[in-house]
Amino acid sequence: MIRLVRAEWTKLFTTKVWLGLLLGSVVMVAAFAVFFTAFAGEDESGLPAVGTPLYEDLILSTAANANILFLILGIIGMTQEYRHRTATPTFLTSPRRGQVVIAKLIAYALAAAAFALVVVIVNYVVVVIHAGARGAAPSLDGDNLATLAASLVALVIYAVIGVGLGALLRNQVGAIVGGLVYLFVIEPIIRSVPATAGAYKWMPGGGLEALTATFEGPDLLEAWQGGLVLLGYGLLAALLGTLLAVRRDVV
Amino acid sequence: MRVEVRGLTKSFGAVRAVSDLSFTVEPGQVTGFLGPNGAGKTTSLRMVLGLIRPDSGTATFDGVPYTALPDPSRTVGAVLETAFHPARSGRNHLRVYCRAAGLPLERADEVLRQVGLSDAGGRRAGSYSLGMRQRLALAAALLGDPGVLVLDEPANGLDPEGIQWLRGFLRHLAHDQGRTVLVSSHLLSEVEQTVDRVVIVGAGRLVREGSMADLRAGAASGGTVLVRSPEAPRLADALRADGAQVAADGDGALTVSGRTAAEIGSRAFAAGVELHELRPHTSGLEEIYFQLTAGQEQFAAPTPGAPVAQGATR
Repeated sequence: MIRLVRAEWTKLFTTKVWLGLLLGSVVMVAAFAVFFTAFAGEDESGLPAVGTPLYEDLILSTAANANILFLILGIIGMTQEYRHRTATPTFLTSPRRGQVVIAKLIAYALAAAAFALVVVIVNYVVVVIHAGARGAAPSLDGDNLATLAASLVALVIYAVIGVGLGALLRNQVGAIVGGLVYLFVIEPIIRSVPATAGAYKWMPGGGLEALTATFEGPDLLEAWQGGLVLLGYGLLAALLGTLLAVRRDVV
Repeated sequence: MRVEVRGLTKSFGAVRAVSDLSFTVEPGQVTGFLGPNGAGKTTSLRMVLGLIRPDSGTATFDGVPYTALPDPSRTVGAVLETAFHPARSGRNHLRVYCRAAGLPLERADEVLRQVGLSDAGGRRAGSYSLGMRQRLALAAALLGDPGVLVLDEPANGLDPEGIQWLRGFLRHLAHDQGRTVLVSSHLLSEVEQTVDRVVIVGAGRLVREGSMADLRAGAASGGTVLVRSPEAPRLADALRADGAQVAADGDGALTVSGRTAAEIGSRAFAAGVELHELRPHTSGLEEIYFQLTAGQEQFAAPTPGAPVAQGATR
């Protein structure tokens, strides 16, 4: 199993996809933090002021906005095997295909943890500089550390969901487009329509918001429950993906 | 290591791709797996290698199915696909599978040298020519130094020089090193000089399994003899009296079947007939192959006693 995990890392780090996604995540999170802090406390923005607990909760959760890029990392990690038809040599080398998918889940969870650590550090550093310049840099106390850690965990789970989703769908473009549509169209609609808003807390996005932070959000679960919901989706995707990869013919 | 295929059957929806296919691949020989495009060769090989689940039947390596092999990379090497991640270098592609199989990373450089790709190892696989891709795929199959090699149309995209090299390489692996080599092709002429045995399939069924020598003998015995004589009608009568089949082509030429050139010559000598030409016209191997695999569409709706059985028992 360690051999297969290391093989997945070799695959990941011998192309430049990881670099693009990591840089994209860093830029995205830094930009979010800067804009949010710039308009924090302004009346027309409606955002909480720098130095308030709500501001610190929200600003240190901006790393979680990179969830789409971590989802894509996981999707590409799995679907590249089918897109570039390397599934054949991969499954020839390891005919017990379940092990390949499990190795991918482990490899991408660990790689995502390292990338997410970079992202939350960038998140924190940008906020310390910018909010510090505006008068009150958040301290690295227990609450704020927990917020950063929650973002990190959420990003790792999204990468795991991506691997599972990729194993389910196999089509790279389809899985990425489907992921984008789900995250940016379907979930926001469910979140905002009163009739369906009650179900939102049970969805991945609802779990994410409960785990990290929410702003003018709907009814949500407790943070730890949200974390469990999100983890549940990660495991479900991983399990279904593994079962299907084992059963399907590689033609 | 012996590869045994027993009763493999696979349908994709309503299409029967492979039907009750059985054959054996022996070590120390190059076995050609031949059939026209769409005959089910690739599907069969993928079932042998555990990538496609057969509806029924088994394929084993010294009695063990591929998916149960304790160390598949060191046991079987396969070239099924010449597709690589275009942004990954050839060397890194090989290193991925070194890692997965627990082989030292140096094996990547060793097999690159073996297939003559040392200089291109650092380049992106996406920039490789078709021939280089074939070589890289072969290099990947050789990583674990396996006793069995399975190659699906490995000559596709190779230039004449590359094909020449591949022939020598495969013969070397089988004859000198005693490995089991199974190589598929849709062209008999492509592998004719390389293979020792043939397994011919058509429309997913076995048409013929045997040695190249058998196939050549079949080709020779099915031939006719061309005879030219100024006294053609007299010779024709003499041969017909012996029971040979003779067709007069006019201009003193006869086409005789059912007799060898030697038999015709001695009959002519006995009858005192002057001969100007005596030439065996054996149908080539390629012709035999076409006869065996021609009109395979008809087998899609199998009828009892169809020409398949004839071909298989001849």
